[in-house]
Amino acid sequence: MTSSAELVLDGLARRYGSTTAVARMDLTVAAGELVALLGPSGCGKTTTLRMVAGFIEPSAGRILLRGQDITTMPAHRRDTGMVFQSYALFPHLSVAENIAFGLKRRGVPKPDLAVRVARMVALLKLQGLEARLPRQLSGGQQQRVAVGRALVINPAVVLLDEPFSNLDALLREGTRIELRRLQTELGLTTLFVTHDQAEAMAISDRIAVMNQGRLEQLGTPREVYERPATRFVATFIGRANLFASRDGRSEDGIPLDGPDGTLVLRPERVVLDDAPAAGPNAVSGTVEVLSFLGTGTQAVLRLDGGRALLVEGPAALADHFRPGSRATARWMRADLVALPAEG
Amino acid sequence: MTSLRSPLGWVLRALALLGFIYLLGPLLVIVAASFSDTGYLAFPPQGFSLRWYQAALADARYLNGFFVSLRLAAMVAALSLLVGTAAAVALTRFAFPGSVLLEALFLSPLVLPALVLAVALTLFFAANPIAPPGMTRLVVSHLLVGVPMVLRVMLPVLRRVDPAIEEAARNLGASPVKAFLLVTLPALRPGLVAAAALAFIFSFDEVEMALFLGSVRDAPLTVVLYGAAQMQMDPTVAAVSSLLILLALLLMVAQQVYANR
Repeated sequence: MTSSAELVLDGLARRYGSTTAVARMDLTVAAGELVALLGPSGCGKTTTLRMVAGFIEPSAGRILLRGQDITTMPAHRRDTGMVFQSYALFPHLSVAENIAFGLKRRGVPKPDLAVRVARMVALLKLQGLEARLPRQLSGGQQQRVAVGRALVINPAVVLLDEPFSNLDALLREGTRIELRRLQTELGLTTLFVTHDQAEAMAISDRIAVMNQGRLEQLGTPREVYERPATRFVATFIGRANLFASRDGRSEDGIPLDGPDGTLVLRPERVVLDDAPAAGPNAVSGTVEVLSFLGTGTQAVLRLDGGRALLVEGPAALADHFRPGSRATARWMRADLVALPAEG
Repeated sequence: MTSLRSPLGWVLRALALLGFIYLLGPLLVIVAASFSDTGYLAFPPQGFSLRWYQAALADARYLNGFFVSLRLAAMVAALSLLVGTAAAVALTRFAFPGSVLLEALFLSPLVLPALVLAVALTLFFAANPIAPPGMTRLVVSHLLVGVPMVLRVMLPVLRRVDPAIEEAARNLGASPVKAFLLVTLPALRPGLVAAAALAFIFSFDEVEMALFLGSVRDAPLTVVLYGAAQMQMDPTVAAVSSLLILLALLLMVAQQVYANR
């Protein structure tokens, strides 16, 4: 993988009247890299993607694609391939014609066009369906046609707008692994919008976490999970127990052996046992909820101070404790991750 | 779900059959009477003859009326399609203040009795002779119903078509005009055909406004028929009516075949 900047968003912003949809977004996507724009609905991720596609005009900032300023270029001249959330397949065209649409607009000669469509059909395992209309396909097949239609034109950047949200859970996981494999093999530079943090973690090189139009943190999945930059990132990606620590105590009096400031404690770092609590980083309470999940057990420990502490442990946790049992939660100093001081 | 074989299923079948007889019975009477070998309208028909069809096709009044109606219906269908579709696009693609009210207003002529419209328009044109009597007045008047009809068909069609397909086309390199022509228009085509067929049949079969607003010289077929039914009432009237029924049937079947292709 080369690390040249393929797509650059430079102070990109979009305002609607007095509301800010996207506020001064800076983001560089390297060639062959998959970057996820992750956030809750209304965070500006889709607006950002649509500005790159050319469907929304930015209020400020620039978009550079392969070094060329495309900020004011009309959508149909931009070298982007977009997969829509609804797939947006052309209902009156067959699978093959849908895939060939972009090649025809580019004036690709017929023999070459047929070869490229056939190659994409094979790559996406759509053989035998070429003559079908979109409404005669299953949801998963429609999704693959939408992907093929965007990839066949070999765009400088692939734009994915929640491409898995209309698939059922089982299909979704297989499809996203398949798409990631395709993206890596073909070295596609990709911007991927999703609200699903598990999806973003699973297939992204880097994640741009967005909230209320602002870029909260940009980093690899491990970085945003293990070293969240803000309270929002800590709670949006994975689950978290948060402590406001001062002079070795949390705001609700739990003894903490860690730095001052806002501390993040991930539930899977917490260990439960039935010995009494002694010293810092240990606290007792009553087990309130135990959920057996197959791969592990989630528990909610109601602390004596009133706080609900989230715990994730091995499946065997369900054998040792029952709802109503007394338990002590413990963790290590290194498990407490301090958030950078927030402005 | 009730099985069609259960006792209730048989009751439902019988009800459906009665419904069909009620709806189609009068048409069968007219068609049957048109083949009668008598000099007056008779049902059940006596004998079998095609001479009333011969007479109808030889009669210049009917033939002239047919071509007047054809011209009228074609113009009404084309203009209704243009105005109605444009209005439907505006109502579905752009949310603007009062759009819901406007939609209800646009559809309201559909619920007015044609006679009320005919009388109102006669008074209006008498006070404001902005169009000469005859074809122009009829086209303008029929649009009052033709446009809402097209709107009625196109609103749900447009709401069902994914607005993202036009963006997808642009994303793949089609200019906005090309995207509309290559993707949006073909996606709307079955709806457009249905809407045009409805407006055409409405205008072709319309009596009240044609009677009140048409000119005597260029009378549409329905007006000629109305006159004939009052004057002589021979089976020629039934023959022409049967031909009209056949034409409407062919149009509807063609539209259905096209839609289910």
